[in-house]
Amino acid sequence: MKFKDYYEVFGIPRTATQDEIKRTYRKLARKYHPDVNKDPDAEMRFKEVGEAYAVLKDPEKRAAYDQVGKRWKAGEEFQPPPDWDAGFEFRGNGAEFHGDASDFFEALFGRQARAAQGARGHARGQDHHAKVLIDLEDAYRGAKRSITLRMPASDAQGRVVLQERKLDITIPKGIRAGQHLRLAGQGEPGLGAGPAGDLFLEVAFNPDPRYRVDGRDVFANLPLTPWEAALGCSLSLSTPEGPVQLTIPARTAAGRQLRLKGKGLPGNPAGDFYFVVSIVAPAADNDAQKAAYRALADTFDFDPRAVTKG
Amino acid sequence: MSTTDIQITSVLIVEEEVQLTLAELCQACNAPQASVVAWVNEGVLSPCGETPDDWRFTGASLRRARKARWLTHDMEVNTQGVGIVLDLLDEIAGLQARLQRAGLD
Repeated sequence: MKFKDYYEVFGIPRTATQDEIKRTYRKLARKYHPDVNKDPDAEMRFKEVGEAYAVLKDPEKRAAYDQVGKRWKAGEEFQPPPDWDAGFEFRGNGAEFHGDASDFFEALFGRQARAAQGARGHARGQDHHAKVLIDLEDAYRGAKRSITLRMPASDAQGRVVLQERKLDITIPKGIRAGQHLRLAGQGEPGLGAGPAGDLFLEVAFNPDPRYRVDGRDVFANLPLTPWEAALGCSLSLSTPEGPVQLTIPARTAAGRQLRLKGKGLPGNPAGDFYFVVSIVAPAADNDAQKAAYRALADTFDFDPRAVTKG
Repeated sequence: MSTTDIQITSVLIVEEEVQLTLAELCQACNAPQASVVAWVNEGVLSPCGETPDDWRFTGASLRRARKARWLTHDMEVNTQGVGIVLDLLDEIAGLQARLQRAGLD
């Protein structure tokens, strides 16, 4: 695993006061919180900042980290030296950070590391949270996904080793973005005879420019030419469920929503699928096309600005 | 690195199939019981049931409780502030959904 420089993450010197750390964290957390910042990288940055704060806000952990930090630079291959935290008493039991902690954080401050260093007793393992990305089509049909979780553990010599767990899960049909799946007993192992925690997976959809989802309803744009919209037509269109044959009635106006009942996300009741009509007029590039537009102008007594006329 | 393969047979959709007790919600959002009780008293979370022992939280409370935990313990926002922030975040999410529905995002 690579060494992480938490001061670099915060952009502050090692001499920063606890107050500066707190202020910097709040500033960065506000900036990168996924509710506020829709940038795809924001969530990763938010987690990184949260992890750095979990260490730097606690004077004991910070002091222990500083000891280690003297010997490594960011990005260098890292293995916690034996007894690196000897003489430090971390408050609370184990880590207080509960995003998806990095291997680096887990190795230094994770519960596994603490347990290996002689914690006693029986306690339920903590619940873990992770995110899983699926396509909208997967939500229509249900999907199989393999998720790999890495968790540091101690080997017989007390060294930190990474263990990998591959979970094969079935994502139920009809799942919606933002919902959570609970995998009982797949969180952190318990201490002693304590039971393992649960794993919560938050479901998100891979962005798909073709579709918009609102609850169980799914929307797609349907651009039509003026003549298709005016005269009506029959079109073959794709939906997440597969192709459909759609009859566009004559006199279809822009903004009209054509509903395919029950063709949204499956469920009880199932959502609806909507094609939202827009009308696109081609540019007139050659003489014949210009003549066609002039013929339209001569044929129609049509003023779209009747209301706003100056 | 050693790899273990695990087949998961039972997966529950939290928002639809799960109700959480006070202890389960505390565990799942990693917040102390006193915080969750304070959020309920402030109306941030609205479980069914009269006393904390009878409280049952909907699965959808989990997302809200996780945000409340972050606001309370990392941002040090007080309980009233947590309620206001969560309501505003809900409102923003609702407006964004409307924009998205209209294809304007």
